[in-house]
Amino acid sequence: MRSACLIRIMLFLFLVAAMAVPALAASPLEEMKQTTDKILSIVTNPALKAPSKTEERERLIRQTVDERFDWEEMARRSLAIHWAKRTAEERKEFIRLFSDLVERTYMKKVEDYSGEKVLYEGETKEGDYASVRVKIVTKKDEDIPVEYHLKKEGNDWFIYDISIEGVSLVNNYRVQFHSIISQSSYENLVKRLKEKVELK
Amino acid sequence: MMKAVGPVYFLLALWLVMVPGPCAGSPSSEAAVPASPSDDSRSAAIATESPEPPSETDPLKSSDPPEPAASVDQKDPDETFLTEVPPSSQPEQTVAAIADPLEPVNRAFFRFNDKLYFWVLKPVATGYKTVIPEDGRIGIRNFFSNVGTPVRLVNCLLQAKFKGAGNETVRFVLNTTIGIAGFLDPAKKTFKIEKQEADLGQTLGIWGIGPAFYINLPVLGPSSARDTVGYVGDLFFDPRTYLAYYFFIAEIVNSGTWVMDKVNETSLTLGEYENFKKAALDPYIALREAYAQYRQNKIRK
Repeated sequence: MRSACLIRIMLFLFLVAAMAVPALAASPLEEMKQTTDKILSIVTNPALKAPSKTEERERLIRQTVDERFDWEEMARRSLAIHWAKRTAEERKEFIRLFSDLVERTYMKKVEDYSGEKVLYEGETKEGDYASVRVKIVTKKDEDIPVEYHLKKEGNDWFIYDISIEGVSLVNNYRVQFHSIISQSSYENLVKRLKEKVELK
Repeated sequence: MMKAVGPVYFLLALWLVMVPGPCAGSPSSEAAVPASPSDDSRSAAIATESPEPPSETDPLKSSDPPEPAASVDQKDPDETFLTEVPPSSQPEQTVAAIADPLEPVNRAFFRFNDKLYFWVLKPVATGYKTVIPEDGRIGIRNFFSNVGTPVRLVNCLLQAKFKGAGNETVRFVLNTTIGIAGFLDPAKKTFKIEKQEADLGQTLGIWGIGPAFYINLPVLGPSSARDTVGYVGDLFFDPRTYLAYYFFIAEIVNSGTWVMDKVNETSLTLGEYENFKKAALDPYIALREAYAQYRQNKIRK
């Protein structure tokens, strides 16, 4: 009788543990690592190196990047106080342009990838926010500390900011955007964003 | 000042470059990475799912605003963004990270430096690059870095970073001797002794002096009132300054070494400034903010 009870408790605990494991599995660092490895496998894939495959390669990289980035959150933080004044349509357009600008710049440099290494240094979690610290070691033997800032949505973590040597991407764009909007207008900012994105 | 300017372009470029980060060359080298950290404190932090215990209770990072919990609870951030402070960023919202009362003059010098880069520095560095192979140019970079040891050593002491001061001393001895006058860096490569960046602007910052305001210096690039004072002060500890006392052609030699340093550095970072400009809507502001944040970060550490 007592042992049957114990067995039932054990079984119950086992079930709870089994259910808890997949939910806990997604640590921000693990997820970052998955994305990084995936992009690396695309970049270093010899089958995608041919000039005729450039489009395919870019599409795959873009897709992988999109899966890990929360573009809306990033755009919202970059516009800051100006976000609230935008209509749903304006927001949609802005997110598209802003993510295009960041992605295009990234894409250009991916072509130059030459075996830089990423060392994972650790992660910090607080509620639904986390940061993952990595160190990039370049071919010229320089170390660049990079910090990914992530936000949890559902079971996954999404990037909303990146800092390199303590310089935050979102902060930098925020001050630029604010300066342009306050000196001219939001329409002018969109115009300039469009020019930038179409230029490349 | 080179030391300040070079890395800024570099990191700016990189930060867009690396977005989720090109990484280890192969799965095997990645796996090897955590096994060979360069120092003990790091190896603890490397383990994939064990962030250092103290930081779990700390805010996301030391620079975080004190109220990250508030932003976590926001249900409708749109309404409250005016007051919300995102956990990732500096306390300032749309406010610039540094005062800029000299903006018109600074912008003029920014344009000047921009032209200087595209019309002079870049063509010269591109030519130089074709003559000297990359290993040689990294050697020259190491040489200048080694010559600058006294500046870092003195500032480490002023900042009470005694481990850094010790590292700098050991690095100087090793690199000057077995590193062949500093062209090689066996201290880092073989003995895993990292360079400790330190300058007087940073020292003054650690002592509690703010950057005051932004200055975009002609030729030298982004700086602040405090860091310009620091730059001049550091010249007293730069061995190159003392060439001027012992040789009558010293001024020429002195500026010659500076130009050499600058051209060499540019040859190693060609393309980074271009990429930085492509990513920015207002490159002047982008550079100013990056400089201010980069320096803040150097002082926090």
